[in-house]
Amino acid sequence: MGDNKKIQRFVFQTDGVCSPEIHFQIVEGLVKDIRFVGGGCPGNARLVSRLLEGRPLEEVAMYLDGIECRNDTSCPDQLGIAIKAAKEGELHPADSFRIQTDPDIHNRIGFVGEPAGDDQAMEKIVSHMVETGVSTVYCLGNLTGNSHHNRELIGFVRKRNILAVQGARDWQYAQNAEGDLPPLTAKERDWLLRLPQVLEFRLGGRKGITFFGEYIQDFPGFSDYEAFSLEMNMVCGLTNFMQDETVFPALEAMVPQFKADIIVFSQQKKWGHWQVADKEFVSIGPAAQDGELAWGLLESGEGKFEFKTVQI
Amino acid sequence: MAESVKVLPDDIKELIDVHEWDMRTREGVQRFRELKAKSLPSVALDEELVYESLIPMQEELIEEIRRRYKNKNQGV
Repeated sequence: MGDNKKIQRFVFQTDGVCSPEIHFQIVEGLVKDIRFVGGGCPGNARLVSRLLEGRPLEEVAMYLDGIECRNDTSCPDQLGIAIKAAKEGELHPADSFRIQTDPDIHNRIGFVGEPAGDDQAMEKIVSHMVETGVSTVYCLGNLTGNSHHNRELIGFVRKRNILAVQGARDWQYAQNAEGDLPPLTAKERDWLLRLPQVLEFRLGGRKGITFFGEYIQDFPGFSDYEAFSLEMNMVCGLTNFMQDETVFPALEAMVPQFKADIIVFSQQKKWGHWQVADKEFVSIGPAAQDGELAWGLLESGEGKFEFKTVQI
Repeated sequence: MAESVKVLPDDIKELIDVHEWDMRTREGVQRFRELKAKSLPSVALDEELVYESLIPMQEELIEEIRRRYKNKNQGV
């Protein structure tokens, strides 16, 4: 909103090079924000990104064509192929945010909010969830925090294959904008970058989504008409994360257009559950608060929906 | 709601500028909050929320528009 520049964001799946993806934007005919993601030589990749930042599409080809590194291609060569494909309309712009779908249908889901680099708390919570009999664990951002254990937490989440959504601070980390926070490796940043912003799931016969909060709406090219944008606009913008109950009549008028039945978010760092019409809204609080550990349990059975906060 | 405005007589339409906001959008939500509206549909006249959760009868809407127009143009 406010900036009317047409920003197109692209994600290119590479072939034959170390980086599995190249991300870039095209803004009014200029190439911007090039990022080689998931591997490769981070130093050289950043140099390429800096050198090409803001250059016209027509100009970049001469820098990229015909460079070989391995498998008769290279990261720059792949970038050249990607930009050419985007220019010729063969590579379509990506959605502004990533949606991951959990293909399994669950009846008991455990949610961890804002672990913020507290790997010890995370391990205790996940163990407790497993003892309690959840069928899956979803971790909401922020995974990272003002902690010297962010790397351990990321390692734990990856090792246990926990489905995680990115938080605002995780996004900042991924952009090399962590400020004074402890540094991560390039691979860890890339892992944070590739986290979905929205996780789609099934609880019993109902569809749910979970996301962190409003930072997603500031992504380049964010559209109010993308899948689940309406749910985000209503939660983040209209109701201020369900804190303003005076606008619930308006929310009730909008929910028939929702694609999801259950909307779970965590930006507020508060616990809460609201039902508006036939939709469930859940705010997940932080994993650790005032020395207490807590997680959220969503259950479904015989058509019923239940949410509770589990204290450890 | 916009339909009820679209079918207003031409002499009334000449007195007003009509803006419609899509509540699915961030811009629509922002406008809704600026007007301190609570429910849908809502109609504001001269930045003032006048109708909420109801579509006024055409005669009522015309009368309200005329009244406001008259008040604003008194002494002109």
